[in-house]
Amino acid sequence: MKKLTATLSGLGVWLATAATAQMTPGGIAMQPANSALAEEVHFFHNWILLPIITVISLFVLALLIWVIVRYNAKSNPEPRKFSHNTLVEIIWTGVPIIILLIIALPSFELLYKEDVTPDGKQVVVAGDGQTVDFVFPNDFAESRMVKRRSHLQVALDNGSGQQVLRYRDDYRVDGFGDAEVVVSFETPPAPGERVIIRGGRSSQNVSGCPNAKRFIDACDKEIVMAPTMTIKAVGRQWGWNYSYPDFGDFEFLSDMATEEESTPETYLLEVNNRVVVPVGETIRITTTASDVIHAWALPAFAVKVDAVPGRINETWFSADREGIYYGQCSEICGVRHSYMPIAVEVVSRPAFEAWVDSQRALAEMEPMFDSENIKLARSENAGASAE
Amino acid sequence: MAEAQAAHGADDHADHKPSFFVRWFFSTNHKDIGTLYLIFAIIAGIVGGAMSGLMRMELAEPGVTVLTQWTGGDLTAAANFYNVLITYHGLMMIFFMVMPALIGGFGNWFVPIMIGAPDMAFPRMNNISFWLYGASGILITLSLFAPGYGSQIGFGGGWVLYPPLSSNTGSPGPAMDLLILSLHLAGASSILGAINFITTIFNMRAPGMTLHKMPLFAWSVLVTAFLLVLSLPVLAGAITMLLTDRNFGTSFFDAAGGGDPILYQHLFWFFGHPEVYILILPGFGIISHIVSTFSKKPIFGYLGMAYAMVAIGFVGFIVWAHHMYTVGLSVDMKAYFVAATMVIAVPTGIKIFSWIATMWGGSIEFKTPMVWAIGFIFLFTVGGVTGVVLANAGIDHYMHDTYYVVAHFHYVLSLGAVFAIFAGWYYWFPKMTGKMYREWLGTLHFWVMFIGVNLIFFPQHFLGLQGMPRRYIDYPEAFALWNQVSTIGYFITILGMGVFVVAMFDAFFIYRKKAADNPWGVGATTLEWTLPSPPPFHQFNELPRFDKGDAKAF
Repeated sequence: MKKLTATLSGLGVWLATAATAQMTPGGIAMQPANSALAEEVHFFHNWILLPIITVISLFVLALLIWVIVRYNAKSNPEPRKFSHNTLVEIIWTGVPIIILLIIALPSFELLYKEDVTPDGKQVVVAGDGQTVDFVFPNDFAESRMVKRRSHLQVALDNGSGQQVLRYRDDYRVDGFGDAEVVVSFETPPAPGERVIIRGGRSSQNVSGCPNAKRFIDACDKEIVMAPTMTIKAVGRQWGWNYSYPDFGDFEFLSDMATEEESTPETYLLEVNNRVVVPVGETIRITTTASDVIHAWALPAFAVKVDAVPGRINETWFSADREGIYYGQCSEICGVRHSYMPIAVEVVSRPAFEAWVDSQRALAEMEPMFDSENIKLARSENAGASAE
Repeated sequence: MAEAQAAHGADDHADHKPSFFVRWFFSTNHKDIGTLYLIFAIIAGIVGGAMSGLMRMELAEPGVTVLTQWTGGDLTAAANFYNVLITYHGLMMIFFMVMPALIGGFGNWFVPIMIGAPDMAFPRMNNISFWLYGASGILITLSLFAPGYGSQIGFGGGWVLYPPLSSNTGSPGPAMDLLILSLHLAGASSILGAINFITTIFNMRAPGMTLHKMPLFAWSVLVTAFLLVLSLPVLAGAITMLLTDRNFGTSFFDAAGGGDPILYQHLFWFFGHPEVYILILPGFGIISHIVSTFSKKPIFGYLGMAYAMVAIGFVGFIVWAHHMYTVGLSVDMKAYFVAATMVIAVPTGIKIFSWIATMWGGSIEFKTPMVWAIGFIFLFTVGGVTGVVLANAGIDHYMHDTYYVVAHFHYVLSLGAVFAIFAGWYYWFPKMTGKMYREWLGTLHFWVMFIGVNLIFFPQHFLGLQGMPRRYIDYPEAFALWNQVSTIGYFITILGMGVFVVAMFDAFFIYRKKAADNPWGVGATTLEWTLPSPPPFHQFNELPRFDKGDAKAF
């Protein structure tokens, strides 16, 4: 059900877009996830919490039905007199504690994944057929240092694709926890091959790993790179101002599109100027507000963060797929609270760069991504896609 | 309870009631004040219920079509009206319906009787508690019609009153000031009432009734009273700071002046979370008595039940920031609040299972109060487990401020506390009025309302999972189906309330059946059933005694 939206004239930027709202009409489940992290949120809810609470509710219902059937005045005219049973009291205190522990462990893991902005980085070195030792600068803060094999991933790229290498079989590592981690190969990478070393403590399932299989057939994990860019979202009554400090701090307003500018299914969700981000990269969102409290929400990425005057909040997401994703202000902010949606358009890197330059042109700035300037966009450590 | 039987025999000739005005306006009698609170709660319930009706009608289908009819087609005014409705619906139901009904109403009526006391410890303070509530009700009504945002009337920022929306930035008009003063008075009233209950329960129990022999409803009100005394001053402080921010140039919550809007949220929820237990704990007490009465069995695990309430009350004070997972708390702090919040599930589980164990082996009669109590146990369980879901900050980042939250707290409050109120109402109606109602009408009321409220609130879980934010007057097409179902549920609920009105009208004017002292039989063992129905104006001129033999009051 993809419909082409009317081209948005807003600031004169042309974007070919297929817009469809993520919610299913009459749906009963969470909006489809578009990030590995949101997949984990879904997994935690759909496969851990929902079954547990359903079983508990049905269990209580079954007990109630049983006492109603078995111990009504007709079936059981003589009430029994007991009022204590230490064993069952211990059981119904202990079993819930165990259930809560079962919930708490994945809950904490998920919470820290959501709330700790990834700081992973990568080193890309071209092979020369001789060098076998490659240095990864372990210059993280003490609590975030690469200290275990799971904090490091090594891949080889021969130009036609990346091959993730296996610890010990393909390479060895010296200096976990030291200022420099040395990755040593048995056979030196050939010229034309590139060694990609990623380090960091934030990891997520590789894109597309079916989450339900996580316990049976452990998904491959990938280290999540530090944000490649930051978006400042400033809530105001009633719309959002966005700016892109990494690209010259150009700023634009994003207000709800009129009914004519939206499709029937995106009305109240569509805006005149969407946030545009590149696919597959870690995006940092910082929020604040200029008048009252608002909240920047994007259900497809399981992101919600308040925009509070005088404070700057931060969260992050990394989109799996291109497309347009909608959210709505999630903290009551006055009469037009229902009318300040959030729309994020996830595009490819080249399309993103073209969009940035068009925005810079509107702000009367030089293009950033013409020819050699293109490197500026990628800090040398970050950049999830090594081309 | 021969002693108690003898006691009320002496009441009869001391039972001269004052004249109408003195009796109902200068009242110092705990039962009369209880009745006044119940009438107050009924009025507030009707107002709050009507407000939710307007909201549900507006949300029946996408587009703003209903409230604009009230505002002459003005969309901004309609949106403001909607926000005012959600705000005052919440405040009405919490402060002016559930609290007066459970604590002021049933608490005043039955705590003194259950502990074998002639009245409350401070009868005149009891009177001012009620009339402060009256004054508070007048102020909140005035606030509804005072300018708030621009030329719009009323304050439309949600019952939590978060600044800056509630400060001069978002709502400069006097509506908010009146609301603050209203809450001050309601808070003062509740604090005085709580002091009264604590003093009464600690000092006026019948001879020999130790705390561990005290009926669970008295326990629940005791715990509630402590929560009130400890939490309401914090709310009072927070809204006083808001008041001075608004009027006297302070900037406690104004970032531009060095303040912090989040400080308000911490203070508010330090009150607000105990508040939700204040709303439900007396209900727990009522349900315990009803379950025991109609199962004809003593309460299972009495001490566990009492101390589970104490535990819930205590832990209730250290979980407040789980309402604030998205405001930008540090991740370690969130982790603490996740853990602390989940702990509450343990004592709550103890209560649920103990109620079921009380029924287990019993000889259950499905009289109206029992039917409501069983409904309560199941629906409160459903509301409780969704609370466990929301306790997880990692999930709450998705669910926060969506309809899932609305569904959760209506399951524990609207289907929990309100069902407990109805259970208590049908349980004590014969005692309070001396009249019986028709069983089938009470049961019909239950079934219609059970279907109605579930139809309102269960689909709201779906809306929340789909991401529909709360406090929205309009929504995208995709949310239409479940909103429509929810609105149908509202009309069924209203039908149920119609049955309630009929049942009460019938009981007073048509059925007119005199209630026995103890209409519920051998299972009803607490002291109120030893008194006539209705009880004499003054009871226990000679105190019942529990210091001989193994007499218990529960």
